[in-house]
Formats: sequence, C-alpha cells, structure tokens
Amino acid sequence: MSEQSKDVCDPNFAAEASNSEVHSSPGVPGGPSLPASQAAIFPGPESPPVGPPDAPLVSPAPQAPSEEGDPKALQQAAEEGRAHQAPSAAQPGPAPPAPAQLVQKAHELMWYVLVKDQKRMIIWFPDMVKDVIGSYKKWCRSILRRTSLILARVFGLHLRLTSLHTMEFSLVKALEPEELDRVALSNRMPMTGLLLMILSLIYVKGRGARESAVWNVLRILGLRPWKKHSTFGDVRKLITEEFVQQNYLKYQRVPHVEPPEYEFFWGSRASREISKMQIMEFLARVFKKDPQAWPSRYREALEEARALREANPTAHCPRNSVSED
Amino acid sequence: MQGSTRRMGVMTDVHRRFLQLLMTHGVLEEWDVQRLQKHCYKVHDRNATVEKLEDFINNINSVLESLYIEIKKGVTEDDGRPIYALVNLATTSISKMASDFAENELDLFRKALELIIDSETGFASSTNILNLVDQLKGKKMRKKEAEHVLQKFVQNKWLIEKEGEFTLHGRAILEMEQYIRETYPDAVKVCTICHSLLIQGQSCETCGIRMHLPCVAKYFQSNSEPRCPHCNDYWPHEIPEVFDPEKEREAGISKSNKRSSRSRQH
Repeated sequence: MSEQSKDVCDPNFAAEASNSEVHSSPGVPGGPSLPASQAAIFPGPESPPVGPPDAPLVSPAPQAPSEEGDPKALQQAAEEGRAHQAPSAAQPGPAPPAPAQLVQKAHELMWYVLVKDQKRMIIWFPDMVKDVIGSYKKWCRSILRRTSLILARVFGLHLRLTSLHTMEFSLVKALEPEELDRVALSNRMPMTGLLLMILSLIYVKGRGARESAVWNVLRILGLRPWKKHSTFGDVRKLITEEFVQQNYLKYQRVPHVEPPEYEFFWGSRASREISKMQIMEFLARVFKKDPQAWPSRYREALEEARALREANPTAHCPRNSVSED
Repeated sequence: MQGSTRRMGVMTDVHRRFLQLLMTHGVLEEWDVQRLQKHCYKVHDRNATVEKLEDFINNINSVLESLYIEIKKGVTEDDGRPIYALVNLATTSISKMASDFAENELDLFRKALELIIDSETGFASSTNILNLVDQLKGKKMRKKEAEHVLQKFVQNKWLIEKEGEFTLHGRAILEMEQYIRETYPDAVKVCTICHSLLIQGQSCETCGIRMHLPCVAKYFQSNSEPRCPHCNDYWPHEIPEVFDPEKEREAGISKSNKRSSRSRQH
C-alpha cells in the first residue's frame, strides 16, 4: 500500500528544487530527473513567467546536479532509456517509461491536485502515489516537478510541501495581491457567509463560542440544528464535521461540564486564510455598524494588519472585497 | 495585456486567476463567470479592455488543450441557463468523483445514473434507487444511509432532486457526457437539434425524436404552429420560454430584496 516512499521519492526534493543544496534521497538510479534530460522532456525550457516574491517552487533552469551518482552516467542512462524504450535484459525492475507517459502522469497529477484542493481536502503525498503515480513511483520526482511547473505556469499556483512531517501538500496562490477571492462572489457563496458568521462570533467573544451561542446567531439566518436547509443541507453536520475537517473550525468539548457541552474555536486554516480585518469588515457589513463599534477587536485587527504588512512588504493589504458586491 | 492571438494563447495573471477561481467554484452560471472575469481584470490589469467572454475562454482553452482539460460551456436542461465548468477530458470514468465518495457511494451513483438514463423522463424515483441498495459494491449500505448519500450528491451538484425524483445536474452532464456516451451507447438519448446528450427533454409522440427544453424553446421561438422537424407532425408539448439573462437578473434582484427583509424579522 502507500508505505512511506521516502527511500525512492522524497517529497522534500520537490519543495527545495530551486536551491542547489538539495537533499535528495539516495539511490535513484537512472531516473530521468536531471536538468539536462528534463529540458529534453519539457517542451518549453523557460522558467515560469510568474514572479512571486519567493522563488518559484520548480525551476527548470539547469542547476548544479548535487545528486549522488555520476551525473553524466545518469544522464546517459536517461537518454538511453528514452532512445530504446525497452528494458535491458540485465536490469531488474521496470524500464524507464516513455516521456509521453510521464507527461500524461503529470497531467493526471495536476488534475488530482486541483480537484483535491477544490474539495478542500488534504493533499497527502502517499495518496498521490497510491491514486495517481502508482507504478511510476520511481519517477515521481520528475512527475511532481512537471506538475508543479504546469500549475505555476497555467494556474498561477504553487504546489508546496506544507508539512514534511505529515507529508501534506497544498496549493498556494502565487499571484499578487493575495486576497479573499471567494468573497468576490460573496452574495453567491452562502458557505462563506455562514463560516464568517461563526468565526466573527468567536472573534468578538475573544474565546471559544459555545454551541448554544452559535445556534442563537444562526437563528438570525433562519438556520436550526434540526431543520434541513435548502442550500446548506444538514447545517449541524456542516459546521461540526465538514468545516472542522477542512480546518476552518475546531469543535471541542467544554471541560468539566455535565451534561456535555461543546464549543467552537477558529481552525488553523481560518487563521491562515482570513484576517481579523476581514472579520471586522464582515461585521460592519452585516450589522451596518462602523468596525470601531467593537473597539478592542478593531484594535487587534489593526495590529494584525500592521504585522502582516511588515512581514510582507510587497503584498498589498487585502482589498476591501468583502463590501464589494 | 496581450490581444487575443489565433495561435496558442498566452496566459497572463488575469487568465491564471480566472482559472483558479473557476476551479474553486466548480461550476458557475454565465453571469457569475462574467463577474469573475471582470474581477480578474480589476485585480491584475485595471486599464485593459475586458475581452469578450467567448474569446477570453477560447484563448485559455488553447493553452489548456495540451493538458487535456477544457473550460466547457453547457446549458442546464430544465431552463436553459448557460453554465461553465473546468472539465478533464482525459479521464472518462466516474473516478473523478472518487476522491469524494466511498466505493459503495460511487456505486450508488452509478446505479442512479443507469436508472436515469434508462428512464423515459430522465428522472429516477428515490424509491427505485433505494431498492438497489442491496446490490451495491463495497460496504453494506442501509436505505437511510443511501438517502443521505443521495442528498450529498445533490449538494455537490451531481444530481438534482425534484419531488422525490432525481436527475443529473448540468455539471454532471458537462463533466461526464463523454463517459456516459461511451458506457451506455445504446441507452443514451440524444437531442435532434444540438446532438448532445439528452437526459430531460421533450419527444415527438409520432416518430420519437427528442429535443432539450432550451433547444425546443429556441427552435420554435415565435412559431405559432410548432411541428416536429423530423416527421412534421404537430408538436404536442408546451413550448418553453427562451432563457433571458436580463429578465433573470431583475427577478434575482427583487427576490433578494424580499429575502433580506425577511431575515431581518427574525
């Protein structure tokens, strides 16, 4: 099954491809994973035209091959593999596949990653290997590289290894300015509204929001825990399971309370994707008040915005797209 | 801002953001797509003229061609709204849903799909689908659970439910048309006018040809004596209205006004 394939295809490599201090995994024989052969496989050797602040994830520009093994020998083996396309009788193991097959795999992987991201599901490296790469495991490095290149060039997205520990990837926007695009269609995105409602409640309270408080707020939207909604479906399931699975919310038991009660907190993903200022703007819009009607929260939001600006001098502040309709 | 080129198109950040957002939303109606396009121009290229949507999309598609994906335009079968989705042309199986659903859930969808395709109306009743629950591959599923799964399909825009019956969502047709035509070549119905896959539609009672409702609307527009294009017999069904995005927008505005006043009363 999808055992840790660290020994063959180190996801870390894809994450650090642009610097030459690559710590590639040992023992990758004859894989067409060198810059020279790479140029031959890729139709266009230009680097991704997108120029984000950080270096692109994948750079097809020739790098000093710091992989172990004689680079020339590997390159030769790769070229031979392409030319002959037949397994030499002496070698155990699969023959290097035709470049066209690797290209196809890269396209499949690209779609797989896009769909996972669309469904807000975790992109897990062992899943990628199990579901898409399969028997091409040995060449997953070059497949990953190609996929990253396409994603950057065509979609403006970085396939980034967000956690080596859990082997999770995520698709990160490479375009500037970063902003809450979802909200560009805000009046058609009820889910965002529902989530923002809950997040802003938690934020205003300054601590976890008890489930009963959340339902009081959702009553304003006409939502009840026992009633199925035409758009949201089973609302309770949505907020206690799906939003939690997507890391937008945390749903935890309140300690030492009987009968058991639960409360909501911001999830890690919400903290990453949604700024406090956006919450203030949302509140202002919904309650038709000035954001400064919540003075301490507004101050916090200003602090955060300032900290973000200092951390990212080239990025714009999130545009006021919440109020843009 | 590059002008549209007839050879392989050029991707700019406008196009990239458009693709990102289209992918995020899955399927969008035409009006939303136009807003999206304008938003992308606003963000990345304020001063450029917004290219005509059709050319804009063709431009992007020429780049996507080598990746075997495409921005496909379709039309909802019941009321003729244009919809857009980014679809993968390479995979021709239901497996594109595979990341969302378990094996038995996928099989339930397959069973529902078969019933829908075989039916006369393009709808399969909830009862008939649920009766097949025992035949599903994978883990055993109870009828109660199956009801829940069917609702999941509706929420994810694979199925539409109307009065206890299910048919395919426009998105499913867009994404799976190729798969459906290859898998059920004999059972599949096709519209005489546009030659695309037909799930819901009207049919001539004499010769049996079928047409989508929006195709009927367009074909018989301002025709007081509609006749079957094939056998010339009188066309016995009510001719629907052609979808008018302008009227739709006005209706939408008045609807949302009503909605907002209602919610304030809570």
